[in-house]
Amino acid sequence: MTDVLEARGIDMSFRNGDEVTEVLKGVDLTLQAGELVALLGASGSGKSTLLSIIGLLLRPTAGRITIAGQRVDTLSETERARFRNQRLGFIFQFHHLLPDFTATENVAFPAAATAGRMTGAMRQRARELLERVGLADRMDFPATRLSGGQKQRVAIARALMNNPALILADEPTGSLDRVSAEKVLDLMEEVNREDKATFLICTHDENIAARCARRIIVKDGRADRVQA
Amino acid sequence: MFALVVARRYLFSNPAQTALLITGVALGVTAFVFITALIEGLAIRLTADVTANSSHVSLEQEVRVARVLPARAADVQSVALVSTFQRRQIRAWGPTVALLRSQPLVSAISPQISGNAFLVKGEAVAPLAVTAIEPSALDAISPITTKIIGGDADLGADGILIGAQLAENLGLSAGQPVLFRTDRGVDRLLTVRGIFRTGLLNLDERVAFLSIRTARPLLRLPEGVTNIEVKLHDPGQAREFAAFLRDATGLRVTSWQERNTTLEGALFAQAQTGTLIQIFSLISVLIGIASALSLSANRRRGEIGIMGAFGVARRFIAAVFVLQGLLIGMVGAGIGCLTGFALCSWLATLTKADGTMVLPIVASEGSYLTVFALTTLGAVLASVIPARSAARLDPLEAIQQ
Repeated sequence: MTDVLEARGIDMSFRNGDEVTEVLKGVDLTLQAGELVALLGASGSGKSTLLSIIGLLLRPTAGRITIAGQRVDTLSETERARFRNQRLGFIFQFHHLLPDFTATENVAFPAAATAGRMTGAMRQRARELLERVGLADRMDFPATRLSGGQKQRVAIARALMNNPALILADEPTGSLDRVSAEKVLDLMEEVNREDKATFLICTHDENIAARCARRIIVKDGRADRVQA
Repeated sequence: MFALVVARRYLFSNPAQTALLITGVALGVTAFVFITALIEGLAIRLTADVTANSSHVSLEQEVRVARVLPARAADVQSVALVSTFQRRQIRAWGPTVALLRSQPLVSAISPQISGNAFLVKGEAVAPLAVTAIEPSALDAISPITTKIIGGDADLGADGILIGAQLAENLGLSAGQPVLFRTDRGVDRLLTVRGIFRTGLLNLDERVAFLSIRTARPLLRLPEGVTNIEVKLHDPGQAREFAAFLRDATGLRVTSWQERNTTLEGALFAQAQTGTLIQIFSLISVLIGIASALSLSANRRRGEIGIMGAFGVARRFIAAVFVLQGLLIGMVGAGIGCLTGFALCSWLATLTKADGTMVLPIVASEGSYLTVFALTTLGAVLASVIPARSAARLDPLEAIQQ
C-alpha cells in the first residue's frame, strides 16, 4: 500500500508575549491509502492542532509533510488553498452547511466556487454522492430543513466531492445524538471500505476509536501509534 | 458566474434586511436627484429671468483714456488727451452687424442709440433713459409688444413708448402728445403711441423707446450707434462669445455674466452648497452599505470559514461581497432615480395662485446617469472593506468560533 500522508518531525508552538507553549514536539505520522485511523487524545493534547496542520489550515513551526506524494509544507497560501480544494476533504464537528443552498448545491459548492460556475456534471456528481449517503429524497431540500444527522451526511458527501486523497474528520459525531452518530460512523466505515477512502478521524471518543483499524494517541505533544 | 449566484442568494436570504438596505440607498439617491434638480432648476430660472429681458452680449466703444506718447527727447514727455468733442459711438457699425449676422450662435441683433432725456408735461418733468431702436427689432432683446397695456407698439416717425409708472406719474395715456427734451438741448413734441408694463419698476418708470430714425437728430448722432445688443441661442456661451467679439472688433464687449457678477457668485455658492449636500447624501448611503455588508460578513463567519477550509479562493469570497454591494447599489440607485424623477415631475406640476411654480424644479436636470454611476461605483467601493475582511478570515479561527 502507498503512503497517503507522511508527516515527519512536526513541531508546533504558540507564542503569547514572552511565553512560548509547545503543543507538538517532533510528531511523526504515516497514513496509508484506504486506512481508517483514529487520532486520539485528551482535551488540549494537541490532536486538533495536528489535524489542522495536516489539513493545511495551520503552518507547523517545523516539520515536513507529504500528502499523496506532494510536499505540502512549503506551499504558498494560494497553493495550499488549491491543494485543500482538490486533494483534501473535511468533516467538522459542526456541519457548517451553507443555509441558503440546497443539499446538492452544498455538496457541489467547493468545486463550483473554484470553477466559477456550477456545471451539470458537478450537480450530477453531487446527486450521486447524496444518494450514496442515503439522502436521495433530500437532494433539493434547503440545508435548513435537514436534521442534524442528515446535515452531517451532506457534509460527508461534500468532503467526497473532489475525490480527495485524504479525508480529515474533527469530532464528526460530536454534535449528534447517539443514533445519528452511529449512522454517520457506519457511513464513514462504508465509504472507507467500498471506496478505499483514507480517513483520519480526530476524536476523544473511545467507541469511535474502537471502530478504526488503527489508533494514534497524541500525548504530551507526541504521537504514539497503537494497533487496533 | 457562480459568485453572482451566491451574492444574489445571500441577498435574498434576508429579504427584509435587503429591502431596508435598498430603500436606504434609494432614499439617498432620491434626495440627491431632488437637490440636483432643484438647484439646477433654480439656476435655470434665475438665469432665464435675468437674460429674458436683457441682451446676452453688449458692444460699445472703448472708453478713451489719456495716454503717454513716445518721447522725442529724454526730458520731454507728452500726453494724448481724451477728446471731449467726440461722442462715444460705434461709427462703422454696419460691418460689426454683418459679422454678428454671420455667427450661428447669434439669435437677435439690435443696434441702438442710448441717451438721456426728460419728458415734460406742464410743470412736471420726468427723467428718461432713452433706447432708440429699429422698430422692426423692438422685441429682439426684450419682448415689449406683448407687454403693451395701452395703445400699440407702432413707433412711427414721432412715436414714443413709455412705461406704465411713468405714464401714471405724468398723467399720460396713449395718443397724447408730450414734450421730449434731450440732454443735448433739443426739444420735440412726440406722441405717446403705447404704454407698457414689464413689472420691473426701473423699466416702467424710467425707460422709453423711440425709433432710431427719430432719435438721431434728437440725440445728435447722425451716423453711428452707441451700442449693439446681441441675444444668443445659448446664454451660457455669452462669456466665450464676448471674448471672441472683443478680439474681432476691438470694441468693449460685455457678457451678461460680467454685468451680473453678484448673480454668478450666488449661483456658484448655491451649486457648491448643493454639491456638499450631494456628497453627504452619497456618503451616508455608502456607510449604510459598508456597515450592512460588514454585519453580513460577520454573521456568515462560519460559512466563510468552511469555504476557506475547502480551498475556495479568497478572490471568490471577496467577489461575493463586492457583487452584493454592486447589486444593492445598482438596484437602489435605479429605484432612487425613478422615485426621484417621479417626485421632481410631481413637484414641477405644483403651482401657486399666480400660476408660478411652487418650486423651480426641473425634473430632467436630476443628473440621473451621474448619480447612478456614482452610487454604483461607491457601493462597490464601500463593499471592498467587508469583502477584504471576509476574504482574509482565517478558516480555522472562523470554524472554531
